[in-house]
Amino acid sequence: MSDHMTEWLNAYLDGELKGDQFQRLRQHLLECEQCRAELASLENLSKAMHMVPTPQFTPPERFAAQVGLRLAHKPTRATKSRVMEIGWWMIPVGLLVIWVLIGVSSWVADLVIAANSFGLLSGVPAWFIQGSTGAYWANTLAQFGLLSGTGFKWTAVTEGFARQFALHISTAVVYLGWIVVWWTRRKRDAQGQLLEG
Amino acid sequence: MIPDAPEKELVIKAQKGDRNAFSELVCMHSRGVLNIIFRMCGDAQIAEDAAQETFIRAWSHLGSFRTEASLRNWLYRIALNTATDMLRKEKRILPGLVDDLPLVDPNPGPECHFIDGEHTALVQQAIQSLPDASREVLVLREYEGFSYREIADALEIPIGTVMSRLNYARGFLKEKLEGKVALFKEAERV
Repeated sequence: MSDHMTEWLNAYLDGELKGDQFQRLRQHLLECEQCRAELASLENLSKAMHMVPTPQFTPPERFAAQVGLRLAHKPTRATKSRVMEIGWWMIPVGLLVIWVLIGVSSWVADLVIAANSFGLLSGVPAWFIQGSTGAYWANTLAQFGLLSGTGFKWTAVTEGFARQFALHISTAVVYLGWIVVWWTRRKRDAQGQLLEG
Repeated sequence: MIPDAPEKELVIKAQKGDRNAFSELVCMHSRGVLNIIFRMCGDAQIAEDAAQETFIRAWSHLGSFRTEASLRNWLYRIALNTATDMLRKEKRILPGLVDDLPLVDPNPGPECHFIDGEHTALVQQAIQSLPDASREVLVLREYEGFSYREIADALEIPIGTVMSRLNYARGFLKEKLEGKVALFKEAERV
């Protein structure tokens, strides 16, 4: 392993080294001729780059006038961007509403099934009770005589559970995806504010 | 024209379609945008065209700009992308060209000193033979004086990547130019 600190020389030259790292490199430069030569070489390179002159560009006012002639009437994305922003914040609200609806419907279905098992729904039409179980495929298969008895019960229970499970999971996945994107955007904004400060 | 109006107010007005406010912003940032594009491509005419294109793109996407962010960084990012697109279209980058230039005598006599034009061409060609990603970082650091944090923010890359690209760019230029010893001797005399 090399004792030289050449990988930190650029940061030192650019004034980006702080604290201990800065002091260590400064001390090292006093003792290491090779690193001093490397630093001098980097300084010379920087000077050489600054010897390249910039040409005489169009004056700012005239340049702005030239740009003005080529502009469209209005910034085209302004309205679209506002709509996108509102839509962006509606995503978690919409997901929350969906999640509440799923929970409430599941809760109501459970109540109907419980009430039915206690014989409290004797006057209620059969379609309402069957619909509340959420076992549409089990009922359909049973109508064609393909399911009966224990098989029907298991299929009905599994089908209801699987549907609820899939709905909760997919809602959670979309919500988590939104949180990841929101967090990334927030981090980027924070970096911008640091820069402003 | 709105003299001395704060930049944020000008941006908000421009976002509502105020062309005079945008014109003021163009005046404020045209020099910086022209400079970095010129440093990227080394051609004044391409720089003028690409800078105009930069501000036209900025105008059409101004609605998506968040006023709490830095307008300069946002414009510079558009400028660098525009310059890269335009150079690809123009195909005026000649990588490796600096290799074709003759090596200079390590102990040149008075007749062998570089004249300004040769020096300029040599350095400019070496910069242009850098990969786009390293060239962008180098230009922002050397010519615009951006800090590593500002470069990271403008290009949306981590600070570690800024450092590695800068190390690569300077190492590459040293390797290309150190053979032309007189160049560094010229710099030492400045």
